Amino acid sequence: MSQTFQQLPEELQLATSAHVKYIQSLDSRKDEYDYWLTEHLRLNGLYWGLTALHLLGHPDALPRAETIDFVLSCQHDSGGFGAAPGHDAHMLSTVSAVQILATIDAFDELETRGKGKAQVGKYIANLQNRETGTFAGDEWGEEDTRFLYGAFNALSLLGLLDLVDVDKAVNHIAACANFDGGYGVSPGAESHAGQIFTCVAALTIAGRQDLVDKERLGRWLSERQIAGGGLNGRPEKKEDVCYSWWVLSSLEMIGKTHWIDKDQLVAFILRCQDPERGGISDRPGDMVDVWHTVFGLAGLSLLQYPGLQPVDEVYCMPKSTTARVLGR
Amino acid sequence: MADQGRIQQGGSQHGIARTSRVRTDDQRQRDLDRIAKYRDLEDQVRALAAAGDYTAPALFQLTSRLLRLNPEYYTTLGWVLMLDGVLEFFSFRHYSTLFHQLLVIVLGRDPARPRLPDSWEDWYNTETQDLAVIKSELAFTIPLLLESPKCYWIWSYRLWTLQQAIARLRPALARKIWEEELGLASKMLGKDRRNFHAWGYRRHVVTQLESAALQGSSMVEAEFAYTQNMIETDLSNFSAWHSRSRLIPRLLEERGAGEEARRAFLDKELTQIREALNVGPEDQSLWYYHQFLVLNLVAPEKHPAMTPGFTRDDRVAYLTREIDEIKELLEDYADVKLIYEGLFEYTVYLCRLQERQPDAGERADLAAWLAKLRQLDPMRNGRWADLEREVSLEGGNE
Ligand SMILES: [Zn+2]
Repeated sequence: MSQTFQQLPEELQLATSAHVKYIQSLDSRKDEYDYWLTEHLRLNGLYWGLTALHLLGHPDALPRAETIDFVLSCQHDSGGFGAAPGHDAHMLSTVSAVQILATIDAFDELETRGKGKAQVGKYIANLQNRETGTFAGDEWGEEDTRFLYGAFNALSLLGLLDLVDVDKAVNHIAACANFDGGYGVSPGAESHAGQIFTCVAALTIAGRQDLVDKERLGRWLSERQIAGGGLNGRPEKKEDVCYSWWVLSSLEMIGKTHWIDKDQLVAFILRCQDPERGGISDRPGDMVDVWHTVFGLAGLSLLQYPGLQPVDEVYCMPKSTTARVLGR
Repeated sequence: MADQGRIQQGGSQHGIARTSRVRTDDQRQRDLDRIAKYRDLEDQVRALAAAGDYTAPALFQLTSRLLRLNPEYYTTLGWVLMLDGVLEFFSFRHYSTLFHQLLVIVLGRDPARPRLPDSWEDWYNTETQDLAVIKSELAFTIPLLLESPKCYWIWSYRLWTLQQAIARLRPALARKIWEEELGLASKMLGKDRRNFHAWGYRRHVVTQLESAALQGSSMVEAEFAYTQNMIETDLSNFSAWHSRSRLIPRLLEERGAGEEARRAFLDKELTQIREALNVGPEDQSLWYYHQFLVLNLVAPEKHPAMTPGFTRDDRVAYLTREIDEIKELLEDYADVKLIYEGLFEYTVYLCRLQERQPDAGERADLAAWLAKLRQLDPMRNGRWADLEREVSLEGGNE
């Protein structure tokens, strides 16, 4: 995609301003039942919306001060964050909180008004199972490579990766590898694109990409693209915009995005947008939501769609943010 | 990604048609009513907890109602799970007392009470009560699961309840409960054969049934037979093929299979998959499993289970036969790209195995197959280009 935005035919135009408006409207839907039913995802949703806005080049579309206030209002004494004020702390919302604060450059507020970086690091580190190296999502103990990745993501942003046993975690990921080059949710589980992203990204953060069977994995990932240009998450499954992120970012990490047809994927993602009211859905014609909006945009960014800010394939955050925070 | 549990459940829509977002006044009013009901329930729960009002039947009812409204609301399940008494984490919200009270009510007894009963009768009664509560909790989650089969929190609560069976009941009784659970796992997989969570759940239940706590022993034979069953129902079930690939090493180990038995096992697997490919050569699942078998031939350091006694000549002979069989597929299916991909891949393996370069005939074949791949599957042209470079690079270097 080397053309400039204006040269693209209409069906390949990104409805940037509609998307910005859609994301801005998300918090003003308190008269919709779903708004309340999804309260347990409020902080994750904020991360998805904020990241989408940054990729769209509208980093100031959400008020910074209010964002910080809300994030800090979700924090517990333990250092962990709940999804909304009054909700129990959880790994996923804690990771979202760290990503949000990193993106808007507000770690200092976490220090002065929150419980501080060190306490957040401690909360996350305590969720590691020191025997197996894996991580739980919360104190109830669900274990999943998603949480391991989340821990590596947030701790590395905080500069606190040394709080956990990285080698043991890496061994656990190795045990999740399958003959097809992919990774499952736990040892024994079938390969799944979402889990592949979490495992390969965690290995990348740990500097252990040498463990990845890149040829075999690249092949499996490239076979996720099906007629119509979209990507699925497992063999013989339907395509879905969120895999534009899980599959594509994994291909990017192992240097093989050229193994799929990028133009067709761009066209598929764009067919899933609602050009009038904004937002992106899982498949053309379906209801939009912020989850598919951010992962659709992140996919387009990796595909170098003109006008979008570059996304970091490991962190799913603006590259400018990870460059600043990680000093690269 | 409909598979990935909690995040997607509430955070995203899958497969729901885009409709106008403009609600009629009626619809809006209905939403407002539901919201009011939902928030009211939630406020009540929180208020009771905050006021230290632990007259728990009311509280327990509230959490049940809240759960039915929104099974994704894990905090509520967390409250129920708190019965486990593990977590001082919430103590700053003074929930521990509340959970203790709930436990007394739900399980009909005080968890602080010593486990050893005063008399056998007492023990028996307690066990009967526990059994009743466990069964009713398991029944309670079934309609929730039917409504939200991918909701992690319901599964998690169910597992906690099942764990209570191990902790509180005699092994024979607990085993019965877990055996019924395996039945549930089979039923779910019967309905949705690729359901990720159901497969994982099944693995978990089997591990428990194999454990000493339930007086169990290995179920690897039964589980292997289960994959056979699933495959015979639907050849294209990659989840079953995958599960097979994971069970085989253990199966052969536990059978105490010698080299000959392992070879015979491989023969049988190869015959089965070849027959499957004969009817469904465009099915990725089958090719993935075929690749797994071939890895036993060409990458024995990683996949040693079926070929421990194989010499290099054996490996070459087996692989050559596979290549020949696949070539025969071309007679019936000239335009299936997976056939060309298989031929290309395995021919390169064969050369590597024999530590040689492709001969002139193979080179011509490789080039022709690659041309076919480009024609049939242009989406992956980048990969075909890399493969071409790789093969001719090898030629150029040595
Ligand atoms: Zn999706």
